[in-house]
Formats: sequence, structure tokens, C-alpha cells
Amino acid sequence: MHSKWNRREFLKTASAATLGALAAGAPMAGLLSSCSSSSDKNKKLLESDAVKQRLANSTADTVILLWMAGGMAHTDTFDPKQYTPFEKGLDSNRVLSTFKAVPTVLDGVNFSEGLESIGKIIDKGTLIRSYVAADLGHILHSRHQYHWHTCYEPPQSVAAPHMGAWIAKELGPKNPVIPAFIDIGQRLTLGEGEELKAFHTSGFLGNEFGPFMIPDPTTGLDSVKPPVGMSYKRFEKRNELYNKLISESAFGEFGSDYQKESLRRAMEQSYMLLNSPEAKAFDLSTEPKESYDIYNTGRFGLGCLLARRLTEKGARFISVTTEYVPFMGWDTHENGHTRMKGMKKEIDAPVAQLIKDLERTGHLDRTLVILASEFSRDMMLEGRPGAEVKHQVDQPTIINDIKNYGMHRHFTDGCSILMFGGGIQKGHVYGKTADERPCKTIEKPIKIDQIHQSIYHALGIPEDAHAIIEERPFYTTPDGVAKPVMELFGKKEVKEDTEEDEVKEA
Amino acid sequence: MNSKAFNKYKFLALLLLLVAVLYPFFLADVLADPVTEAATSTANDTFWLFKLLGRLHPLAVHFPVTLLCLAALLEVVTLKDFNSRLRPGIDLLVILGAAGAVLSALLGWMLAGQEDYGGDTLAIHRWTGVATAVLGIMAAYLLYTIEKQNRWELIKYYRGLILFTAVGVTAAGHYGASLTHGDMYLTSVIPWSDDYEGAPGSKSNFSLVSLKGNNKLSHEQEIELNTQVRAIFAHNCYKCHSSDKIKGELRLDQKDMVFKGGKHGQIIEPGKPHESEIIRRINLPRSHKEAMPGKGKPLSKEDIQLITYWVEKGAPWPDKGQKNIFRVAELKPRNPSLPKATQNLQNPVDLWVNEYFKKNNVAWTNVVSDRIYLRRIYLDIIGVVPTPEELDAFAQDSRADKRNIWVRQLLNRNDDYALHWLTFWNDALRNDYSGTGYITNGRTNISDWLYKSLQSNKPYNQFVKELLNPGKGSEGFINGIKWRGVVNASQRTEMQAAQNVSQVLLGLNLKCTSCHDSFISDWKLKDAYAFANIFSDSTLEINRCDVPTGKMAETKILWEELGTIEEAAPVKEKLRQLAENLTKPANGRLYRTIVNRIWAQMFGRGIVAPVDAMDNEPWSQDLLDWLASDFVARNYDLKELIYLIATSKTYQLPSVKIMDEQKINAPDFRFAGMLRKRMSAEQFADAVSSAIQPVYADSAVQYKHFPELKPEQASTPFVRASLVKNDGFLTALGRPNRETVITGRDSQANLLQALELTNGKAFNAVLKRGADSWVARYKDSDTIIREVYRKALGRAPVPKEINVAKQVLGPTPNSEAVQDFLWAVVLLPEFQLIY
Repeated sequence: MHSKWNRREFLKTASAATLGALAAGAPMAGLLSSCSSSSDKNKKLLESDAVKQRLANSTADTVILLWMAGGMAHTDTFDPKQYTPFEKGLDSNRVLSTFKAVPTVLDGVNFSEGLESIGKIIDKGTLIRSYVAADLGHILHSRHQYHWHTCYEPPQSVAAPHMGAWIAKELGPKNPVIPAFIDIGQRLTLGEGEELKAFHTSGFLGNEFGPFMIPDPTTGLDSVKPPVGMSYKRFEKRNELYNKLISESAFGEFGSDYQKESLRRAMEQSYMLLNSPEAKAFDLSTEPKESYDIYNTGRFGLGCLLARRLTEKGARFISVTTEYVPFMGWDTHENGHTRMKGMKKEIDAPVAQLIKDLERTGHLDRTLVILASEFSRDMMLEGRPGAEVKHQVDQPTIINDIKNYGMHRHFTDGCSILMFGGGIQKGHVYGKTADERPCKTIEKPIKIDQIHQSIYHALGIPEDAHAIIEERPFYTTPDGVAKPVMELFGKKEVKEDTEEDEVKEA
Repeated sequence: MNSKAFNKYKFLALLLLLVAVLYPFFLADVLADPVTEAATSTANDTFWLFKLLGRLHPLAVHFPVTLLCLAALLEVVTLKDFNSRLRPGIDLLVILGAAGAVLSALLGWMLAGQEDYGGDTLAIHRWTGVATAVLGIMAAYLLYTIEKQNRWELIKYYRGLILFTAVGVTAAGHYGASLTHGDMYLTSVIPWSDDYEGAPGSKSNFSLVSLKGNNKLSHEQEIELNTQVRAIFAHNCYKCHSSDKIKGELRLDQKDMVFKGGKHGQIIEPGKPHESEIIRRINLPRSHKEAMPGKGKPLSKEDIQLITYWVEKGAPWPDKGQKNIFRVAELKPRNPSLPKATQNLQNPVDLWVNEYFKKNNVAWTNVVSDRIYLRRIYLDIIGVVPTPEELDAFAQDSRADKRNIWVRQLLNRNDDYALHWLTFWNDALRNDYSGTGYITNGRTNISDWLYKSLQSNKPYNQFVKELLNPGKGSEGFINGIKWRGVVNASQRTEMQAAQNVSQVLLGLNLKCTSCHDSFISDWKLKDAYAFANIFSDSTLEINRCDVPTGKMAETKILWEELGTIEEAAPVKEKLRQLAENLTKPANGRLYRTIVNRIWAQMFGRGIVAPVDAMDNEPWSQDLLDWLASDFVARNYDLKELIYLIATSKTYQLPSVKIMDEQKINAPDFRFAGMLRKRMSAEQFADAVSSAIQPVYADSAVQYKHFPELKPEQASTPFVRASLVKNDGFLTALGRPNRETVITGRDSQANLLQALELTNGKAFNAVLKRGADSWVARYKDSDTIIREVYRKALGRAPVPKEINVAKQVLGPTPNSEAVQDFLWAVVLLPEFQLIY
């Protein structure tokens, strides 16, 4: 009997310690092994001190990634060029933008027509106009998306973790009952679903850090409340039954081990989440109607609303996507101009409202919002200048049908990214693309590993953060060599010691 | 003042002087004591004064023990004359010593209560300490009796006692030191001791102790020292200073390069550590710009000492007789002769484990009960839980060898067996990946071939041959995934084949080596390319870190002694040669790898761990080698291997609990039986299907079109989870995406999993259907509780469990209450674990 009492006591203290560790912002890894030996416990404490230290140096606690899935043309969104209206017999080569440029709140900075709301709040963030996607040859959306989200080019010999999984591992959840890595809006059952799964994963870091998927924001609540048709009262009773059956179980004779404890802890956490007041944040129906209506441009807009509500309650990393389905959304292989109107309408109001709301509630200071896409588009160029690849769309030289009027080919050499909050400079434009075709990056090219390191920098995650997999170090960005771009934070660039970093061939 | 009195005072004064002089040394010793250092980092609720007093233990202990020893020594010196001039001094020593011993015992008790001490050493130290205090008091009391009551006849007893006390003091002191300095503190410097630091093959670092003062190192010592230094370089410096990355123009992986130095000149002045740049750099504070290693952990004090010593000794780097830096497993098979069978042990597995147990002081315990054994073999061999009828039949079977008979029967259920092992092989061969293959259909499904191979128990050498030199049915494994676009050279399909073949079949990691020379093994880039070239139509150009080198790859098996591959032959012929050469019995590695994988599946940990690193040290080389040789001798029969293991007493030992997952793969792992395992996603789904309600409908089966796969031949009346397409439920429970090779699954539970089980739609729907049918089938709660426990846990509920369940179910339960009860039962660790 004595040993049984000990075990229960142990569970009690273990879960109290768990909550304490979570509240202190300790990573989940520490949480899940809080039952280990005392020397390990000390180690965990040190680790959480390290985490605290990082957080003290950070400028952001939360990241919201607004994902423009399918390739968002920069010249028709945040980097407009010469506008050539549609007319029969139009020469494709003349077309750089299919929309008028409209002014924004920043002097001399124009957006493409249809993005006026974001234009009004762009002074609250930085506009990057010089993102250069990797040259992966013949274009494949899911492959570039894999690269954007993991910072590693597929295929990899080990399953590379999503950025959200790294953040979940390094920092743990901000609020213990809100999963650290939340992914809103992507269904994994549609075209290229398996390819999308390949990066919607925590990879070798383990399922613990994997994405909490909410494919449809309007039913987000279903993911965090008792099963459909079950009252909270019944839910509680059921959980009580479970705990009693464990404590009265004849299995008690076998004592505890790490698997049993981790099962119990996971169940406790799940119960906490499903029963917590924070879970209400997932319920969009409690949002005031006027606010709801502003966001409600579709699933993406409502995803932004859900992201805002979760941020207010303490989320760590949230991705909201316009959803990638081949030939849908931003993946405009035809009828680009017309479809672009719809896409801009879908994002303009909710993105602007998200930034305004976060600012109003004081969360923008510690929340880094990023709007990005895997690459851009062009009417003529497939791939990048100097490394053009096989065309995937026929584009007639002379356009007679409006369905041929649009940015239908994939372009990797100049894309726009927006960043707001979390220490990011306000009202700043970074980089530049050429005004004539090819509208490629001509100033301050920025690459994916720099983007990742900048995000990690904001969160206080060191540049050489890594995990050991199969006895070798695997860094958040390849070889851990990339540096954050300090200009984005309005700071001087860290001068690289080029002498030390030179790499020579044998 | 008579002379005796004068002597007495003189002696006391001398003694006090001695104490005054020596005390600071004791104090310094105590303050530097690791006990006090450790103590400052430990926090708990003990009252501070007790803590303080406890920590005075080390301080209090050093002094009185010396007094007692000194008393014993003086007693021996004055053996002839009890009433010598020293008598008063000895008396004082005994009294002070005894009092001090009592005090230290008390303080020690306090210290042990608050610090992280425990185990045998503490217990021995505690009781020798207490015994010493008691002996000291007894000696003092005897002394008092002798002198005050003139009972001289007691002198010999007193003297025996004081000598004995001195021995006790020494013992207590030794165990105290073992507590603070480690239990090899003394023995590690004794050359003939097992713990000797400098012993050949010793795992600890090269012993500086054994060499200090030696002017000239022997050739063997030079090799040893050099190997150790190179190991430090490899683990800490190669990342930036070897063939692939040559920062500061310095390479540390080759002798001539090391002595040539970097762009700032030589880094080593042999014989002069103080003038050597490398010694300066590794000693710089971490924050210094020139500190080395510039990245990663700083070198340990021992590592720095070792490198310094090496430079001091002239930086020896002998060209002859070099050892490998990394442990490399023997390639050849080995067939050690089996220990003699005993009355209790006949199974060869047990005979080898018995040898191991004897050496490691592990005691055999009783084998598990019929109920646990049956559940174990069902889950391990066919992947499902036994039905209550099967459990009853087994319990009633009175044949002496019924366990062997039932194992054989399970192995004979060919389809059930295949449906279980399909999961393991799908993970390992990354089969059953249902993506588009990135437009190219790169992943050819091999399910049909795989199922047939398992169902017919294809000999493993044949199985491997068909994977390496495939026909249409099995070509998916070496074909690899081809993404559209340009792919990193280290991920071309030929290199994927080389990586996967070496990882899965040979327990060797070539992933690093396919990009650059490895710094976790001795494998080189050219070896990986030579191996990959076998899978290639045209000769591959070697790329280092995705940059072409202009050198063309050779065509070789990783171990040339296994045979050659004709470089100019067409790929089909090269694959045929590869398949023949790799499956030769001479390739002990292939067979050790598979027996180790099967062992790991059944025991929760391999004889070698991790299972993909077969160069690591096994906990029993004999067992591993013998199993591999026996496997070959029995015609590569996987089922025979499983039979041998499942019928061993070793397999039937009670399961072992592990509190810290990290300990499982640690080098100091000690085998004592099967580690408790968690059910795989498939086992869990199948167990729910079997005990509660089928999880999957027939329509979920995705391989209906494969002619060989006829699940209706299976004896289970439900659809097995290994046949259905991966879904959110299985993913949450750990089924991998199978885009990459997976040879072991997560064994920890996590929040996402718990959420899926708690409110996942699909799983709840299953439970709801189950509840409806249970309510329709059984009227009253008692029957339902009893039946659920029988089917799900294979046992009757205990009265307490019935009470708890009844509080929810009531006498005649409704469907909702039953659903909640079913949910609670299948989520019990008792249901989800294999024990």
C-alpha cells in the first residue's frame, strides 16, 4: 500500500511541477521528462533558465505566419510595375502588372489595386521586396513550400521539422493549454496531400512538437472541446472515471514507468485544454458580429480571426494559410487577373484588421506577423532569369482572351514578404526589384535561411540551435551558418567574420 | 609539579598546537569538498539549521576519526606498558575521538536526509559510521572502567576494541570518500584493479596518471595517446577543420596537415605546449574571439590536459599500427560455442543470457503468468490481443510444453503473422507511401511482394536478394523518391538507395558520408559514392556538399572482402552481383542486423542500440553472434528465430520498467528482460477492433487490387489497421508518413495523441457504435463490466473496479454511459502497453 501512496503522491507532484514548468515557459521536452532522475531535473532547470535568458533577449513571443499558398505574384500585389490594361491583341511581353498601382500610407510606396486596407497599415511593419526563392529547377509547389517551411530542400535523408516544430521545441507553449504549434486552414486530403504532409510535421523532433491542425477555422472549437454531443458535465465525469480506474487498477502492481507516466500526463494536458476557459478562444461564434464580419472573407479571413483570438490567449506559433490546392487559390495557371481580384479581396481586410486589432490590444509589440508565399509569378518567365525551366503553362504571345491575361508562370527571383510587430522596424522597405522584365531582385536579396534566422532572432532562439539526429547535428537552418537580417529590426548588421568563415575545397 | 604531571601538560599543549596547525588544512579540504559544492545547488524544505548542521558533517568527520586512529596507533606503540607516559594523551584522544564520532554520525544522518545520496554505498557508510561511534563509546567506557575501577583484566578487550574501532573508522572513511569522489576513487589508480584508468581497452580517457613521470612512451602508448587526441579532434574540430570545411586553412584530420598548420602558421610546437597555438586557443575563455572550438561545446578539462600532454611528449603520431578512432564491428560471422545446458536452462538464448547474468549479477526471476505470456506472444507475433476464449483455452491447456506449442501455432497463422509484420517492414522499407511520388511516381508500391514474402516466410537471404536485385514487385525499395526539379547530389535516387540499403539492411549510417567524409565514423565520401554507383546506369561524379569534384566514383561494396562488382557491367548485372555478395554468410553484419532488429521488436531494445548503429557495442557479443550464425544455419528463417526467442525463459521474464527514456540507448544499459513497450498505432487500433468494436470498415482497405493480399484469409473478424490508408488517427498514434525510412517509433505519448483519443471524431464514432452494440447485447452493468475487462484486459475486474465503473453505469446502463466506460478502459495504460 505504501508504494501506491508514493505513486499517487508522485503523480500529484509531477503534474504540479509540469504546470509550473510550463508557466515558466520551459520547453515541452522538459515537461515530458519531469519524472526522470534528480540530476536530470537539475539539468532541466538549467535548460529552463537558458530559455528564460533567451526570452529576456527576445522581441517577440508569438509568431503568426500568413501563408499565401500557390505562389503570389509580386507585381500584382505588393510590388506593382507598369500597368497594361487588357485589350484584345495585347502583346504578352508588354504586361508587367495587370492592376493599377495605388498609393499606400508610405510615401513613394505603391501597392497593387485591391490591397488598399493593407496599404493603410503598412507603416506598422516592414515590406520586403527582395525575397529570392531557391533555384530548385523544374517548379513544384509542394517542394518549394517544404523548403520555405523547413529551410531544407527536399528530399532529405531524415524528416526535416517545420519551423513551427522547432519553435515549439525550443520555447514550448506560451500558455500551457494552447498547443505550441497550430496550423489553420490546410486540409491534407486534397491534391498533393502527401507532399504537404511531408513538411506539416515535426519530423525527427517527434510528434510532441507536431502541428495541431485546424483545417476549418469555423469548426476550430470542435478540436478543443469534448466530443460532439458530449456535455462538459459528462466529459468531466468520464475523465473522473478514467482516473479512478487507473488508481484502482490491478495494474497498479506493475508500478509506473516513463510510458505510463507520459500517457497520463498527455491525458491530463488534453483534459486541461478541453476544459479550460482558453478553449473558448477557439469559438468564433463568440466574436462580436461587426468584428466577425470584417474578417469573414472566407476560411482564410476567419483563420486570421482565430489566430488573433489565440494570440490574445497565449499562442506560440500559428500558421494561417489560404490553403494550397493545385491550380486553386494563388496557384493561378490561367485567368490570373480575374482570380487575383478574388484573392486580394480574401486577404486585404482580414490581414489589415489583424494588425490593427493586435496593435489595439497591445499584442503587436510581442507578436511577429509574417505574410509570405513560396515564390512569385510572371506572365512570361518560368523559373528565374538565367535558369529558366520547362514552361508549365502555354502563354500566347498575343492575348485575345482575358483568361490568358494574368501571371501564370512561376517566378523565383523576386517575391514580396510583409513583416509586422515583434520588434520589426516600422514603415520600412527592404530591397528592390527591377522595374522592367525580368522584374528580379536587384537590391539586398534575402534568402530563406535569413528569413528563418530573423524570425528565430526575434524569438530569442540562437542561430546555432540544433538537434542531434543519427549522431550528427541538424541545425534550424542548414549548417547553422545563416544570420538574422538586423536591418529588419532597425539595427546595424552584425559584421560577419568573412575571414573565419571562408570555406575551401580540399 | 611532578614529572608525570609536567609530561601530561606538555603533551596536552603539544596536542593543542598540532590541532591549531592542522585545523586550517582540514577546513580547506572540507570547503573544497564536492559535497559542499553539490549541497549549494540543492534546494528543499528542510529547516535551514538542520541543513547547516548536516553540512558540518564532512567538517566534523575528518578530525575525530584521526584522533581514534592515532589512539589506536599509540596503543600499539605502548603495547608493553599500559601506563606509559602517553597514557593521559591516549585517554584524551579516545574520549575526544569517541565524542567526535558520535557527533559526525549524527550530522551525517542529517546530511544524507537532505542531499541526493542513496544506494548501497550510502547504507554501508552510514552503518560503519554508526558502528564506529558505538565502538568508540564502548572503548572510552572500558577505558574509564579500567582506570577508575582498576579492572586491569579488561585491558586486552579495550585494546582489541580500539584497534577494531580504527579499522571501522578507515572503512567508514573509505565509503564516505566513495560517495563524494565516486566508488573507483581508490581502485582506479591501482594497476591490478579492474577499475584501473590506464588499463588497455579501458573506456575512460587515456590515463595521464599512468604515464606521468614516464620519460619515454612506448610505441603502443604513443598510438594510444595519438588515437585519443584524434578522437577529440574528430568529435570537436572536424566540423570546421577537415576535408569538407577548412576554416583558417587548417585541417585536423590528416597527419601532414595537422603539422603544416593553418594560415597563421604552425599550430603545434612538438614538446613545447606553451609555444603551441593550438594549446593557447583551446585554453582561451569561451568569449574570446580566437577561442577554439569556435562552435559547439568547449573542450573538457581532461581533453585539454590530454592534448597538452600529447604536445609535451612531442606530439607523437606513429604511422604504423594505427587504430580506428571509432568502434567498428566485426564483419565476419562468429559462432561461439554454446555454454552447457543446465537442468533449468536449455534454450540457447537463455544459456547466453545466463552467462551475461552471471557476469553482471542479474538474478533469474520467475517467468510471467499464462495470461501475460499469451498477451505478449499474441501482440509480438500476430499483433492482436488474445480473445477471452483463447485465454481460457490456454489456461486450461495442461500440456507441459504448451507455451512452445502456442507460439508455434501463432507462427503458423501465416496471414495474421504477415499482417502484423507488414507494419514493421512498411516503415523500414518506406513502403505504402501514398503520395504522388512528386509527379514521377517515384515510389513504386511493393506491398504485394512484401505481403507474399511475409506470408510465405521467405528466407531472409532471398528476401534481401529480391530487394537488392528486384523484379517488378519489389523494385520500389531501391528506386527511391524522385522529386521534380534539381535535387541535391546526396539525395539522387542512387544515393538514396545506398543510404537506405546500408541503414535498413546493414545497420550503417551513410547519410553524412554521402555528402562529405564522415566525422562520426571512418567512412569516406568516396566509399558512399562507390556503393551508390552500383545502383547507377552511368558512372556517378563525386560531389562534395553538392559541389562536383571532377572525380568519378569507383564501384565497390562497402566491405571489399565481400566481393567485387564489375564496374562496366550493366546495372542489372551489378545489382545481381551486389545481391549475391551481400547475402553471403560471410557477411555477418547483414544477419546480425536482422536478428538484432527482431530482438528489439520483441524486447523493446536491441542487443545493439540504436538498431541502425550496428558498430555500437552489444550488451552480449556472444548472444548476438550466436543468434546471427544460428539464423544462417537455420536457412535464414525469421519464424524460427522468433520461435527460439519467444520460447526462451529470457523472453518470459517479467517486463522491466524504465523511468527515463534516455537510459534505454545509453551505453551502460543493463539487460534484465523485456522493456515495457507501447502498442503501435496499428496494434492499438486492432486491439480496439478486437475487444470493443471494429475500427475500420471493409471499404477502408486500400490494397484490394493486389492479388496476393487476401485479408479474408486472416482469422481476425475485423479489418487490420496495417491494411488501411494512413489517417489522422493512426498518424496521431505514431504511424509515420513513410517518406523516409523509420526503424523505430516514438514511445512517448503526447498531447496531440491524447487529444485525438479524447475528442477525435473517428475514434468517438467507433466507441459510440461499440456502446450501442454492447447495450443491445448485454442487459446489466455487471455483465458489461465483466465482459469489457475480459475482452480488453484479459482478466476479471476486481471489486473496486466494479464499484467505480458502476458509479457511472448504474444498474442498467444507457449507451452514453457505456461509451464513456469503453473509452476509459481502452485508454488505461494496462490496455495500451505491452508488458
